[in-house]
Amino acid sequence: MATLETDTSATLRKQTPRRILGSIGLYLTVAVVSLVTIFPVYWMMISAFQPSKYIMHFPPPLLPQELTFYQFAELFGERPVALWLRNSFLIATMTMLLCMALSVLGAYALSSLRWTGRNLFGLFLLITQMLPEILILIPLFVIYRRLNMLNSLLSLALIDAAFILPICIWILKGVFDNVPPEVLDASVVDGCTELGALWRIVLPLSAPGLAAVAVVAFFFAWNEYLYAGIMLSSGQYMPASVGLSTLKAIAQTPVEQYMAAGLVFSVLPVAFYLSMQRYIVSGLTAGAVKG
Amino acid sequence: MSELAGASGRAGRPNQSETSPRARRRRYLLPFALVLPIVLYEGLLIVYPIAQGIYGSFTRIELASKNPPVWVGWDNYERMFSDPAFWKVIQTTLLFTALVIVVALSVGLFTALLFNRPFHFRPVARGMLMMPWAIPEVPVVMIFIWILSPQFGVVNILARLLPGVTQNPQWLQVPELAMGWMVLISSWKAFPFYSLVILAALQAIPQELYEAAKVDGANPLQLFWRITIPSIGTTLELLVVLAAIFSFKQFTIIFLMTGGGPSGATETIVIRIFNTAFRFYDYSYATALGVAGFVVSLVVAFFFILMQARRTQEAA
Repeated sequence: MATLETDTSATLRKQTPRRILGSIGLYLTVAVVSLVTIFPVYWMMISAFQPSKYIMHFPPPLLPQELTFYQFAELFGERPVALWLRNSFLIATMTMLLCMALSVLGAYALSSLRWTGRNLFGLFLLITQMLPEILILIPLFVIYRRLNMLNSLLSLALIDAAFILPICIWILKGVFDNVPPEVLDASVVDGCTELGALWRIVLPLSAPGLAAVAVVAFFFAWNEYLYAGIMLSSGQYMPASVGLSTLKAIAQTPVEQYMAAGLVFSVLPVAFYLSMQRYIVSGLTAGAVKG
Repeated sequence: MSELAGASGRAGRPNQSETSPRARRRRYLLPFALVLPIVLYEGLLIVYPIAQGIYGSFTRIELASKNPPVWVGWDNYERMFSDPAFWKVIQTTLLFTALVIVVALSVGLFTALLFNRPFHFRPVARGMLMMPWAIPEVPVVMIFIWILSPQFGVVNILARLLPGVTQNPQWLQVPELAMGWMVLISSWKAFPFYSLVILAALQAIPQELYEAAKVDGANPLQLFWRITIPSIGTTLELLVVLAAIFSFKQFTIIFLMTGGGPSGATETIVIRIFNTAFRFYDYSYATALGVAGFVVSLVVAFFFILMQARRTQEAA
């Protein structure tokens, strides 16, 4: 972002009154937009970290009055949050492994090989990716029930992976496209087969892309609510997304505990999504936007 | 369609030195062998259930009994088309989708234009802007249930500033307000993504265009309408279609906050399908609704493919 910095300082150096007014306006607008955008998240943190006597009051104070942490201990002590998180973690890990293995194959076929049917395969992926998840829920529920596959973490991971796989393939294809063709050519001249080139050259050069695929697949399954709620009806398999939705604010759960639960659940996805946003954008638009 | 945009990878490498027929056949078969597991996997878990769903929509399924489904022909569809509730659901879906497209894309465009200008702390502000997109939907629902609580919800502070508001409104019990909040929350969650994509398009506009136009005496408004908008036009079109797909799919936020209520005011087709199947246990009718939704999403997906092909062609 070197150009950006010079831009900024150049703009700030020439200070005519109109320019100063304009930049005050710009900073004010940015401040207002950022505040409005971030406020709900800020409010979650405010409500999670202080005792509810402050927040259960109308109008509530907008700034934190006191910092406490007991609610996190209470949350894990009084609710099966650890079990929920463990289930989510297992489902997400299985989804991630499946997607990583399959997306490497698909991305290589889309990016580096030329074959009739490549466009058709791309179309197939696009359409699967555009369908609302609910359309498959009822028939799949009937099928899973007949095969006795309900209430199994693996069954849920299988369907989660099916939904997120096309996006993973687009992400990885974008990354494979960036491997210089000369490097591949050299490897073929050296007697490498196509698969050997994938394994020894393309994959090691695409580590960040693989990491992006892992993040996207893992947190898709981590966040997923609809299928988890229907397929895992028994409490012992309940993942965190469903478990959280069973908590009712004020009625049964103290607000600071309720918001603490939301916070615990969000920390990992937020951190990883923000660090991988460029890749995810390219995947969600099926490669139309490089991000 | 000349070439599907996403699939336009790099050209194959010429001068393959291997000549043995076996090696050539292996090379020919390799891509098929690579995609076969994927096609089988998606076929089994996505395509086969869809086919089952289409078949099921012509039958009566009773899950409680072990009896096989009974063929009933077009009965479920006749019921659907003569059901006023179905047409209300279609209306609600169109309204919700259209409003989210307009709100989320306008805010996305506005913030992208804002963040395209240089200012201090831009990376920090941009990180804050992306936050709603990165937070999972279930915590989003929890946050807003709390913010909108009629008893202690912080949003009531703002509402009380309006003239004539002396009590905290029942935000999710009034049909118009509930719909408004569903649109606002969905847009809040979605706009950072659109903003990021538009920003990338804005940064790809050559600066010389603006400089040349300024030399010719164009004012900022003309710059915006004559240069900025045409340059990001295809991106905006693509995003309109993508926003239609995403908001059409929106389930978790609406389901957990209103369940489709009050009195069906926020019941989009996705929610209706769920309620029909898992609250009224009317599986066969729900599959017919699902087929209707499937047709709609195929049409929208087709538009996406057209837009995407156009955009990639322009980029090339």
